[in-house]
Order: sequence, then C-alpha cells, then structure tokens
Amino acid sequence: MLPWNYGLHWTLGTMVFLGAFYTVLVVVATTLVSAVVRSRRSLRAGGADGLRWRSDFHDLAARDRACRHQLTGELECRECPNGFDCRQCDTHRAILEQRPAPEPGARSVEDFGMTFPLDRLYHRGHTWVRRERNGTVTVGLDDLGRVLVGKPDSVDLPRKGHRLRLHATAWRMRKGRAGLSVVSPVAGIVVETGGPDQPWYLKVRPEQADLRHLLEGIEVRPWLAREMERLQRALMAAGAAPQPVDGQATLASLAASCPEECREAVCGAMFLRP
Amino acid sequence: MDRRFIPTGVARCSTSRFLMWLALWAALLAFGLYSAGLCLVEGLNQTHMNNRFAFGLWIFLDLTVIALGAGAFFTGFLLYILKRKELRGVINSAVVIGLMCYGGAMAVLGVDVGQPLRAWFTFWYPNVHSMLTEVTFCISCYLTVLLIEYLPIVLKNRKLRQVPHFLVFEHELHNLVYVFAGVGTFLSFFHQGSLGGLYGVLRGRPFAFREELGIWPTTFFLFILSAAAVGPSFILLTTWLVQKLARKPLVRPAVFESLGRISGLLLAAYVLLKTVDTIVWLRRTTPRSGFLPAQYYAWKPFGIWLLFVEIALFLVPMAILLIPKLRARTAWLVPAAAMACCGVALNRFVLTIQTLALPTLSFDRFVYYLPSWQETGTFLAVVAAGVLVYSISFRYFVLFPEEREL
Repeated sequence: MLPWNYGLHWTLGTMVFLGAFYTVLVVVATTLVSAVVRSRRSLRAGGADGLRWRSDFHDLAARDRACRHQLTGELECRECPNGFDCRQCDTHRAILEQRPAPEPGARSVEDFGMTFPLDRLYHRGHTWVRRERNGTVTVGLDDLGRVLVGKPDSVDLPRKGHRLRLHATAWRMRKGRAGLSVVSPVAGIVVETGGPDQPWYLKVRPEQADLRHLLEGIEVRPWLAREMERLQRALMAAGAAPQPVDGQATLASLAASCPEECREAVCGAMFLRP
Repeated sequence: MDRRFIPTGVARCSTSRFLMWLALWAALLAFGLYSAGLCLVEGLNQTHMNNRFAFGLWIFLDLTVIALGAGAFFTGFLLYILKRKELRGVINSAVVIGLMCYGGAMAVLGVDVGQPLRAWFTFWYPNVHSMLTEVTFCISCYLTVLLIEYLPIVLKNRKLRQVPHFLVFEHELHNLVYVFAGVGTFLSFFHQGSLGGLYGVLRGRPFAFREELGIWPTTFFLFILSAAAVGPSFILLTTWLVQKLARKPLVRPAVFESLGRISGLLLAAYVLLKTVDTIVWLRRTTPRSGFLPAQYYAWKPFGIWLLFVEIALFLVPMAILLIPKLRARTAWLVPAAAMACCGVALNRFVLTIQTLALPTLSFDRFVYYLPSWQETGTFLAVVAAGVLVYSISFRYFVLFPEEREL
C-alpha cells in the first residue's frame, strides 16, 4: 500500500490497484470539498431562499404542481415547470391571449364559507396581493390561511426597508407550539407593516409591475376547490378524520378537525412551506 | 411529541408505539453489544472458531449482508448512470439499506479481527499479497461513500433544512450524487469480486477453488453478478415488508415490476455462468485436485441436497421474475425475491462453512461448527442496529418520495 510497507514490490498489479484506490480517494475528497465550496458561494450570494423554494416545489406531489390552466380546465393535464412563476411561461402568455375578456359581474368568490374578493390577486401559498394607486402593493393572508391559523400568538414581520424576494419567507407566525412561515408573493421593498389585527400584513414597493404569476378572476374558484381537496389530504396525513369535500364541508369545520400537534405540518403543506 | 420532525404529508404511528418498537430492538442490540464486548475483551476464545474454522458465522453474515446490500450501489448505478427514473422512489431506502449492511459488516469484521486500537494497521501496513486488503480498502471506501450519500437524506429532514447551511449543502451534495454513485459502483464491483476471489484462490480447499479468468478466479465474477442480481430483489423485499408494517403503499407498482425484471434478467445471466462454472468445476477442476465430486457431498449434513436446494433457489425465482404475468402478481413476486435472497445466503454459507468443514487430506476429518452464543449475539446486534437505523430513518426522513402521492 505505502512505499515504506514491508514487502512492497512495484509491479504492474500493485500500481494499478494503488492507482485506482488513490484515484477513488481523490475523487471522493474533491467532490466533497467541491460541494462545501459551492455551498459557501451559494450562501454568500443569498441563494438559500431560492434553493428552498425550488426544493419545496420539487418535493410537492405532482398533482399539487398542477398548472393554473389545468385547474381552470383550459389545459387537460400539465405540471408547472416554472415553480409557479408564470411570467416567463410561453404557454401562459398564449392562453391569456386567447382568453375572453372577463365579464363584469361577481366581485368576489364565496365558497366553503370563505370569501375571496376579486379585486386582488392570489398566490398559491395563500397570500393575496392588491395593487394600490401609489404604486405599492398590499399583501395579506387569504381567508383559507386566516381560518387555518386563527389568531396567531406572535408574528415576526420584516422591518421597513427589508428587501423581499419572490417565494422567500415573507413573515413568520407562531400559534401554540407551531412555527409557521408565509411565502412572499412578490419581490420588493417593505414600506409598511400591518399584522393580524389589521386586514393586511405588508405594504411593498414591488421590483416589477408584472404580477402575472398570481391567480386572478376565473382562476380563483377552481383553485379554491382544489385547495380544499389538498387540505383534506394534509389533514388525513396528520391523522384527522376524513370529511366530505362538498358544499357541506366548510373550511371552519375542516380546520377544527386539525389536531393541535399537527397544525404546523398542515399549515406548512398549505402555505407551500413544509 | 416528535411530530414536528416527521416529514409533512406522511402518516406515522404514535410516539409511544414507536418507542416501544425501538425498545424491543434496543434490548437485542444491548445483548449483542455485550456479546461483542466479551469477544473484544476476552478474545476469540469466546467463539467456537479455531485454527481450522477461522471463518464462521460472522464471515457468513458479512458475505450475505454485503451481497444483499448491493442493492444500494446497483440501484444508484441504474438511476444516476443508466437513468432508470422509476427507481427514484426507492433510492433513499436503498442507500439506508446499503449503509446498514456495510456498517454491520464492518462492525462484525472489527470484532472478528479484534484489537480495535490497532485497526489502522490494516491501512498503514497492509499485506499487499492478500485479497483481504482489497476487500478492506474497498469496503471502508464504500462505507464512506454511503455515509456521504446518506447525509443529504438526513439534512433533508424538516427541521434540519430550516438551517440555511444544511439546506444549501444538501442541495449541492445532491447535485454531485452521480459522482458518488459512479464511485460506489466501481468500489462495490471490486469488493464483491474480491470477496468471491478470496474463496476461489484457496488452492488447498478444492471445494472452493476455481479456475482463473485473467488474474481472477471465476468466483470473482460470480460474486459480482449474484450480488447485482439479488440486490434489487432485497430492495423489493424490504420495501414490501415496510409497506406491510406501515400498512400503506410507499411506491408505485411499476417500481416493484422494474426491480423484479432487473433482478430476473441478472439472475438468468448468473444461472448461466454458474452452470458453466459448476460443470467446469466438476469435470475439470475437481479431478485435477485428486477428488471425486461425490466426496464433497459424502458428509452429513452437507449432502447433495444442498446443491439442489441452491440451484432451485436461483432457478425458480429467475423463472418467476422473467415471466411478466407472474411478476405482476405480488403473491409470486415477493416470494421469488425472498427465494433469490435465500439463494445468495445459501451460496455464501456453502462457500464459507461447507468449505472449511470438509476434510482435504487423508488424515483429516470432517469438522463440525456451531456458533457460540457470543457469536450469535454479535450477529443479532447487527440485525438490531440495522432495524433501528432503518426505523428511525423511515420515521424522520423521506425514504420513499412517492409516499405522499399514493
């Protein structure tokens, strides 16, 4: 093995064996060091949030990665390839061009005991975004999120001037022993903070005016129906008794069936932050 | 109590029930550790091995678990190198099984060799003329690779991944996992072969000695092939067993089908080569050593029946796994996989125990060997440690990524 080892003769076999062995050691060590170096570089560049979202999205069940146009029935079957960021998606652009202009009518969607006003845009992690006249956007927790969490014991909001990244953690909440994170629906600078006692949590000056990645209008109702199914599955995985998902089942009754010790897991699954 | 550490979207039993399960195996592990401690402190006089029977239950166990643990390297090879994507559903479980098998084998080897404080001598002053050197080096390297492969599975735990450093490191390590899969395949191929070669070069033991192909005896290649064939069967078997214990599906039926087909094809190749090898051994190698084949099977309890049972344990599962209609039914698939695993265990038993028991000289006698309770206890410790590691991994880490969708 080693040149000073008693009885070592440098034959072809010895050289091949030692060469192979040392090559393996070098490859393993180099790969490991490379992973460490790349991790440090990624951390310094602030890539942890992006990675977390990509990893969380990748870990979602295939049916939960369904494209928004599959939910509306515009496409038969499609898995979102963009991590729910439709701004660069050609399919989304093409479908929007063909979609008829919305007819004035309902101002909100009311289903399962929840109200979703249609003057807002919705993120699939259960936050809403409303454009304001002064160019900022207001961010809040939608009805499903609010009922599921109830009144949080404490909220950890970002400071004014904090730069939010899309799909990074927007704010954290604590309810009982459960620690919950809410995914940011927009990227931008926080200009004002609200909280659970107000109807909104953050006012943000967005980096981009393009908010096409958020759900709107006709997409809200089918998305909501799908979310109720997802909630059922999350509750069943947490050990809650199954309940029928139909007009009879309200969100409040479902949320009440959630065991206290499973709140973190269920909310984590629904907020896309397991 | 420990709910917050359990992956989201999966159901697990209550903490108290889990602790009771762990306590059962922990008691067995404690007994095993006591047995192993006795062997290490008092020496090998605690065992029923002697100068003639230098290999016993432990080496048989090592060879068997290493063959069964080959599922880890072979599944990694199929997934990351040959891009068989359907095996993504079992790769994490395969890595844990590999780690248990190789970790157990190393631990038992440590007790067998003894003198743990001088363990580093193996690496610093190795016997360059011994096949065991190749085995030691490859197994230790591969165990290191398995530990590195296990790391992302641990770091992906729900709580650990909230630490940004762990999250990023896990991601980067996972991106490079194909390198480890390649290295693991190389190492595993070599040490499976070296373990086989170890018996094939025993010129003084005609029952094990085999002709050479290149610089290696045929057992070198047969061990590689049998391990590659049986590894997927063991993954299939353990996955099915965990499904039964967890009372829920963990992988799609296509995964079982794929593992069964791969195992069947490789078993066919193994049976073919083993047949040729056996014919050459009976017609050429044995007569040259001055023996009649019948002499090997003249000693009870190792009669000719053992040879036929070994053949059946490879032939029958091969036939079942190669017929799509039978493979598609769990009632056929699982017993076939179990038979293949038993086949490889019997093969390793025959090569270890029967080889040493048979007399080779005219004044020699047939030697009986039964393991002592200390040897058996150490054996059980490996089994218990394996079950504990797997149980904890199954509860807190994602071993079956498709579980949430089923």
